[in-house]
Amino acid sequence: MRVLTALAGNLALISVFAPPAPAQSHVDFAADLFPRLEAHNCRACHNASGVASGTRLHFPEPGAANSVITRFGLGLEPLVDRSDPSESLLLKKPTNRIPHTGGPLIALGSEDEALLTGWVEHLASIPAPLTTISVQHSNRPAEPLRRLTHTQYDNSVRDLLGDRTRPGRSFPTEDYVNGYTNQASSQAISPMLAEAYGKAAEKLARNAFRYGDERKLIPCAPRSARDRDCAESFVRRFGARAYRRPLEPEEIEAYADLIVNWAPANGGFLSGAALAVETMLQSPHFLFLAPQSKPDGSQGFATAARLSYALLNTLPDDELFDAARQGRLVTRSDVQREARRLLGLPGARDTFDEFFSQWLRFDRLRNAVKDRNRFRNYSQGVAESMSEESLRLFRYLAWQNVDFRELFSADYTFVDDFLTVIYGMPDPEVPFGRTDYPEHSPRGGILGHGTFLAQTGKPINTSPTERGLFVREHFLCQTIPPPPPGVDASLPPLLLGARPMTIRETMESMHASEEACASCHKLVDPIGFGFEHFDTVGAYRTTERVRVEPTPQQERKGMKAETHDLAIDATGYIAGIEKSDFRTPREAGQILANSKICQQCVVKQLFRYLFGRHERKDDADLIDRAYNRYERSGFLFQELVLGLVVTEEYLQVHWSE
Amino acid sequence: MSAPRLDRRTFLQGIGFAGAAVRIGLPPLACMFNSSGTAYGAREGLAGTTPETRFVLWFNGNGIPERYWIPRDEGDEYSLTPCLSPLARLRDDVQILSGLDNPNGQTSGVGNGHQRTMSALMSGEKYTGIGAGGPSIDQVVARKIGANSRFPSLQIGVCQESFGTSMQRNMSWSAKNRALPPEVIPQRLFDRLFGTLDEGWTTRKRSVLDAVREQARQLRSNLGREDSRRVDEYLTSISDIERSIAQFPAEYARNTEAPDAGGDPRDYPRIAKVQSDLLVHAFASGQTRVASYMLTKCQGLTRFPWLGLSFARHHEYSHLGGSHRNRQQEVMRDICRWHVEEFAYLVAKLKATPEGAGSLLDNSALLFVHEHAEANSHKNSGGAVILAGHAGRLKTGHHTRVTGTFGDLYRTVAKEVGAPIDHFPTSYGMISRAKA
Repeated sequence: MRVLTALAGNLALISVFAPPAPAQSHVDFAADLFPRLEAHNCRACHNASGVASGTRLHFPEPGAANSVITRFGLGLEPLVDRSDPSESLLLKKPTNRIPHTGGPLIALGSEDEALLTGWVEHLASIPAPLTTISVQHSNRPAEPLRRLTHTQYDNSVRDLLGDRTRPGRSFPTEDYVNGYTNQASSQAISPMLAEAYGKAAEKLARNAFRYGDERKLIPCAPRSARDRDCAESFVRRFGARAYRRPLEPEEIEAYADLIVNWAPANGGFLSGAALAVETMLQSPHFLFLAPQSKPDGSQGFATAARLSYALLNTLPDDELFDAARQGRLVTRSDVQREARRLLGLPGARDTFDEFFSQWLRFDRLRNAVKDRNRFRNYSQGVAESMSEESLRLFRYLAWQNVDFRELFSADYTFVDDFLTVIYGMPDPEVPFGRTDYPEHSPRGGILGHGTFLAQTGKPINTSPTERGLFVREHFLCQTIPPPPPGVDASLPPLLLGARPMTIRETMESMHASEEACASCHKLVDPIGFGFEHFDTVGAYRTTERVRVEPTPQQERKGMKAETHDLAIDATGYIAGIEKSDFRTPREAGQILANSKICQQCVVKQLFRYLFGRHERKDDADLIDRAYNRYERSGFLFQELVLGLVVTEEYLQVHWSE
Repeated sequence: MSAPRLDRRTFLQGIGFAGAAVRIGLPPLACMFNSSGTAYGAREGLAGTTPETRFVLWFNGNGIPERYWIPRDEGDEYSLTPCLSPLARLRDDVQILSGLDNPNGQTSGVGNGHQRTMSALMSGEKYTGIGAGGPSIDQVVARKIGANSRFPSLQIGVCQESFGTSMQRNMSWSAKNRALPPEVIPQRLFDRLFGTLDEGWTTRKRSVLDAVREQARQLRSNLGREDSRRVDEYLTSISDIERSIAQFPAEYARNTEAPDAGGDPRDYPRIAKVQSDLLVHAFASGQTRVASYMLTKCQGLTRFPWLGLSFARHHEYSHLGGSHRNRQQEVMRDICRWHVEEFAYLVAKLKATPEGAGSLLDNSALLFVHEHAEANSHKNSGGAVILAGHAGRLKTGHHTRVTGTFGDLYRTVAKEVGAPIDHFPTSYGMISRAKA
């Protein structure tokens, strides 16, 4: 008998055991132990995108079948010390005998510990794996159908019709899913969006021919409203661009029919052409980007479309279209060459500006509320300047081919005179020109930008929790479970007469007394504590101003509100990253820049934006390859883009080489 | 009168456009009636039959301050709380129910407390991480009673500010993860309902949609399951548009003008009233029977300068802590009173619009719900609602403490508006005390 077990990890590994058959365990893993581990919520961190994503322990998906759970249980074998089971990591970590980031979850001497010990002993008693083979994921599902984003719609009609009115701005707002607004899973066409498409198409088609064919869309001079030849050549040319592929004969025929049937009674040839345009702009062939192409040699066109929408957010330009038509988009090097060319076009800047502004959630910064009385230097305009500063840094790194890790570690920035007031720096020579930080500045990289410091935080106070969460989710790609239902997350008020405390002290005293809160908060808050020298609008402060209000009773006794300036302890660390103590954004930036988790997170973020979905287990290989290319290039952003886009997976092709 | 014309001016007069106060008993406009003098809702085809029932699900973001909202006493002698005071003149047209639970909002899982509550409140199902776990109750009802209307249902919104996720921005869901966004711009809602549809336009639109539908059908057959579902949704949306063209009421097919595009787009008290007026007209003219109305967003971020509250936004106010704790309750009281005020406006408007021998309100059920019970603690149990209208055998004039879930209440109300449903997630029975 052979027993198969799967090791937890990104790649499913199958270990093949040889006889003799292992002794029966007296612990039934799936029925007895697993529910206890779930009760301790080990999964919260130990999953593919949790804080413990870097460890060897990843729980199966919730609701996994018993067989999967049993395999998971057997797969814990590498965490067992065969020579002395009581020394196993699997026992010493959760009981915190070896420091566990999640703290002591299983009490020494408890029933749960006994269960776990039983399982560890069982694992130690079964034979060691003889061989391991990796499982190839050959049945990779096809990439999902993508609907044009509103940006892509606007760019496409601009390039098709020369129309720059950007009708997509009045479409129903696209929602954030997985951190971006272009995720396939949220791209339904609701009746309201369909209506908006209808209205936009009507207007665009009318405007296209309002003053005759001034945009030269008709490649021939129609002899009459019924000129079928001219209708066909218009349909053939315009349709190929709208559909990003040559039209089928039946499609050409149908559109030509539409034109010549409509035009005579409705004002002539152009009214028929307008009707064809109006229809094409609502066609699913225009609105959806089909990942698959037919096996008949139209492959190049699908590749061109996917490439162009990925890098430019619009339909292929003439050069790319010609390359597809002439069969010059077949091999990897063909595609690589075209991709590099597209990355050099101005449209690529807009595309990745959009990526960056969604990744950094500029929208939240724009909507952040700060107390106007307390922070008189802060305004909506300042928030805009903060976004601009971050965008300039991004563009500099991406397009000047600078090591992208400097996003976190840059000792220079791009400020205008709004920001210098808040940051306490001399004005730059040119607004948003590159400026070095003063020598001992605590700022550095994106973590020193208002984009990060001001978008997280309350109107008056900072929120170390929000700052920590932002770092975890956006820069480490780790999710933290939200507080359990019913928790009152507000901090207790400070009282007159009691010792005034900083936000940090209040949080530490509160979370120290609540173990349920502490296990998650200590993964988050200590990151935020390291930024406490920066107030809620991102200005440096040496002390924290705390205002204590009297209670109604105290007020009746004539007691007045007090203001204290308290010393700040800005020591922080990032749980899960070795030697990660820091006390300034600059130091934190160095840690992130050098952290492989952070570098890989950049890859994952870009993956989500480009692929329009969250990464799955079977994307691990692709992400690894893209990461390797990124790393080998010295962390160049454009190489990372190519590493994700110029792939068989992205383009849905098979290259023979 | 052969050509009733509803132009912008008469429209604005008719709805009491400038008046912010609730106006009750406003005489209906002549042009809102057809040539035989009956209101549209009771026009020829329907005369003599039971009038159509309507259902409105009204949503307010964040939660309530329970002590200023829920009446202390039960029965028909209950005293109106500060938040409910705008209902003073409508006491006999509404009932207050408290004690409703939203069990699937109280679970742990993906998303924050707002998203989880919202999904469960609307659909009874848990939040998926993308959207609601199933169709929302208004859509379940629309499937039963909306199929013959020009619009199977309308989604109307007012305030726009929120954290940008789908779950926070939308209350209506056609299916799991499939949001139906609310129309928040009055001019556009007006266009949908009363916009010009001349014959040439209709013919052209039909030929476009025919072609598009054919293409979508062909495309769908070449796709995998998940992808073809997306194209299917587009097909459904196209059919909806085709129907809205086909059933355009002749009375409105004249040159009507939209409300002014001007005005402060953040003047929500004004916008709420225009939206309510449009909804009443949509009901009166038989264009739809089901609507969802999202006054403020889930975890909404609206500012309320007209309440003197511009220091922070809705959600921040709901969690004002520290030394502001008492202030939090007062602020939430004022915000929630405004929610009720706008709701009362709609109820009064329905009551003032005649239909058959009575009013539109006689054949309507409007359910007013809040995201959470107590706002700051994200409470999902013991929620309180307003149920307005006299459709079916709904009781009015009472405050009743009940035990049961929102799902139970939805099924109870659905039955009274003629859309009985056997199952709804988290429903284990009916709230019989909501009925007379």
